Amino acid sequence: MEAHTDRFKETARRELKNEMSQIFLSLLPPGFTILRQIGMSSFPDPVSAVDQARAIRAEVIERMPELLEEFEKNAVSKGATVLWARDAGEANNIILEIARKRSVTYVTKGKSMITEEIGLNEHLIKEGVDAFETDLGEVITQQLSLPPFHIVGPAINVPPEEISAVFLKKGIIKEPTTNPIELGKAVRVYLREKFRHLDMGIVGVNMAVAATGTIINVENEGNIRMTKSSPRTLVAVMSLEKVVPTMADAMHMVRILCRNCTGQKISSYVSMDTGPKKPGEIDGPEELFIVIVDNGRSEIFRDSKTREVLKCIRCGGCLNTCPVYSKIGGYPYGFAYSGPMGQVLNPLLLGIKETSDLYHACTLCGACKEICPAGVDHPSLLLIYRAREVSLKGKDGKALPFIEKTIATFVSLGMSRAWLWNLGAKIMRPVLHRLSHDGYIRNIPFGVQGWFTCRDLPAMPAKTFHEIWTERKHSPVTTSRKT
Amino acid sequence: MKVSLFIPCTVDIFMPEIGVAAYRLLSQLEAYPMYHQDQTCCGQPLFNAGYRDQAKRAARHFIEVFGNDEHIVSPSGSCISMVKHHYPELLSDEPSWCDRARELSERVYELSQFIVDVLGVTDVGASFDGKVTYHESCHILRALGVSDQPKKLIAGVAGAQYVELNNANACCGFGGEFAVGFPEISHALVKDKATNFLNTGADVLLLCEPGCLLNINGYLHRNHPGKRAMHLATFLAGSMKEA
Amino acid sequence: MHAREEILGRMKSAQPGKALIRPSTQPLSELSLSREQMIQRFTAELSTQTGVVHQASTREEAVKILTEIAAAEGLRSVIATGYNIYGMGLRAFGEANHITVNTLDDLPDREALREIAFTADAGITFADFAIAETGTVGIIFNRHQPRLASIAPPVHIAIIPIEGLYPVYEGAIEKVFSNADDIPSQFSFITGPSATGDIQAVQFKGMHGPLKMIVIFIMGQG
Repeated sequence: MEAHTDRFKETARRELKNEMSQIFLSLLPPGFTILRQIGMSSFPDPVSAVDQARAIRAEVIERMPELLEEFEKNAVSKGATVLWARDAGEANNIILEIARKRSVTYVTKGKSMITEEIGLNEHLIKEGVDAFETDLGEVITQQLSLPPFHIVGPAINVPPEEISAVFLKKGIIKEPTTNPIELGKAVRVYLREKFRHLDMGIVGVNMAVAATGTIINVENEGNIRMTKSSPRTLVAVMSLEKVVPTMADAMHMVRILCRNCTGQKISSYVSMDTGPKKPGEIDGPEELFIVIVDNGRSEIFRDSKTREVLKCIRCGGCLNTCPVYSKIGGYPYGFAYSGPMGQVLNPLLLGIKETSDLYHACTLCGACKEICPAGVDHPSLLLIYRAREVSLKGKDGKALPFIEKTIATFVSLGMSRAWLWNLGAKIMRPVLHRLSHDGYIRNIPFGVQGWFTCRDLPAMPAKTFHEIWTERKHSPVTTSRKT
Repeated sequence: MKVSLFIPCTVDIFMPEIGVAAYRLLSQLEAYPMYHQDQTCCGQPLFNAGYRDQAKRAARHFIEVFGNDEHIVSPSGSCISMVKHHYPELLSDEPSWCDRARELSERVYELSQFIVDVLGVTDVGASFDGKVTYHESCHILRALGVSDQPKKLIAGVAGAQYVELNNANACCGFGGEFAVGFPEISHALVKDKATNFLNTGADVLLLCEPGCLLNINGYLHRNHPGKRAMHLATFLAGSMKEA
Repeated sequence: MHAREEILGRMKSAQPGKALIRPSTQPLSELSLSREQMIQRFTAELSTQTGVVHQASTREEAVKILTEIAAAEGLRSVIATGYNIYGMGLRAFGEANHITVNTLDDLPDREALREIAFTADAGITFADFAIAETGTVGIIFNRHQPRLASIAPPVHIAIIPIEGLYPVYEGAIEKVFSNADDIPSQFSFITGPSATGDIQAVQFKGMHGPLKMIVIFIMGQG
């Protein structure tokens, strides 16, 4: 997928003014959050259930290479072909070759974030293999060429009029309609033919169980089961971190994933494939290819400070609790991953320099970290990226960063010497006084204007606490009741 | 009991009355705090902006100033969180400083946390004839786990009618540099916070975080003059009968 | 082999992290359910997904229930699958009710299966497990149980011997996955009909999979 992370601010401004987006954002995240709470309360001890999930993901991080090898060994022993891809290009070419060798003219696709990340659809279509998204939300974003609004409901905000217009153009509907159910049913009919004659399907992987070599898919619509059942050839695409130690661990993570994702205790379908079909079986894939995609993750894994990003299970719980996301939706983040999980992952996939707004657009409120069932510490990661940005800036040698750094250094000197601190306050006071009226500053026309777009700042009082203390000779308590 | 007052930079520069209130409150409770005049700032603004080397200077200075104090108390959750949770990480490559930071982290307290948990006091002898509500600031709530303590102190105010704030634990949109760097999003968040406050009909919005206070009061002053938020310390000190 | 070595090599050169000790967990409350309670719980859970649950004391009674369902749903052709389906007398059921009943005996290959599965009014499949925890049906797919029969037709009727009822998922998982040499090519948990809410959060059933799900427990032998 093409990244537009540099358009964060302008897209955020646009989304803040978009009525439809704001309606959904006022309802969806809080709604999902409540559903998650209800779902989690069905555990006898929800806190320990989260602890258990965090421990499972921590073990995956600890043992990832050996778990991947174990998974591969077991999958291969059951007849799967496991292929490794270092980057997007390699993965896309592997999958294209599989299609070409079998003269496949089209594939159906289950919703898969890794395939969006690597731009698989675009690659296949460009090379003459039609790729049909089949998850209803993905069908819409594919038709409208939109990034996802929300990881679980990528097109949930799109006005039905827009859906109707593009469906009419593509012949999915014959008459315009804004009824969501009619639109959905039309997609059922449209894709049913595709499933029925399918030769090759592509799905993602929610969990790859090391102990058995099993791939697990979690879904509600049935498009993944269709894609795994109908064709002779099945390609399952997974990124490195999808691996999970045992089936028992996988079941716990299924419970956790579903509750944190949609509030469901379990999704409509959880299908678990171990190898291709066996001899004598009439459907299911004769060939199962599992493509394990790196695309920067082995490097992320090597960095002990950022490795925890790989714990993420893509539940979207963090999106629903993020104050920033709940005002701007998914589009501003400019890539396959939005919300806090996108803010911690995209900078590592796309580069620190390319994603500056992503790790600065955070109040560090910690709501994401608090609910994350996988144990990701988003605020700490964002602070690390900010620090990396600073150290990279220095190497650029550009003028503005140099000034910033000099100011920061000067400030730090003030923070380590009380006399300089107090002197700085004394110097700042008349400057701020000039900018204030009736005890308040309404604008400072350099550096910090952003503050003043909607709020004032109190003028600096006549004395700092330091000065009050000194003046009242070590005791700021007066005889008067008034403070 | 030896108590040392740690005054956040925002309080020192813009809202010293909060520091004075904290001092009065603790003195009233006979925990007469000392104040080290060579204190400055915990370094959080630099750390949050990514200037770790520079933030280290502030951290080392803080440890030097407060290192021998038994209890370090501050009317700010984010500052205490900085010292408690981020100093060891910040100084992780300087083992002796890191050890001192870790050791110090056991002795730092947010003000309401200290009054309720250490001094064991929930009634400071304050009274208030009116309605109050409370905003749960992010660091104090999630980083420090402090939520009951301010509410107990509010409940201890004779005559004060407590009204629950809708979405009390929603971020107010301050986030330090965030309010400057992403003004439209920050605006949307502080607007929600203000709306929820106004909807309670409370006379005052109480909170324990100076940063939130600057943000919310700045917004109220511009858009709803006459409505105000107040630091819990200022509120309690202003409403208590002195011995 | 080049990519594999590079990726794994890079990962193995990393310093290991700190694993968390697995915390002890409380057993799930469903584990203490009696059979009667499990049936109640299963029924309640599946009903919230719009699934319908019947209890038949014998296979004959199950066929009676099927007859009622067929009339209510206007079924004219069905696909019937699963090893145990043969003892059900479904051919007779079909003849008696003018319903075309296709089993795997009638379907020589994948194309024939797809033709029938995508045009049948219902899929009648035996199922191996029922999980009380969430009203979930568990099906092992193999040479007697094709995958498409339970996902393609608009109605899915699952016939489940009551011995297959377990309180939580782990009961089924242990049975299915514990013998490494005997893991099925696919095992699926099915909880209610196909569903979506992807357009304007308007929920509806029957997106790509069945619109309706019906479970018939067979309580005894015969």
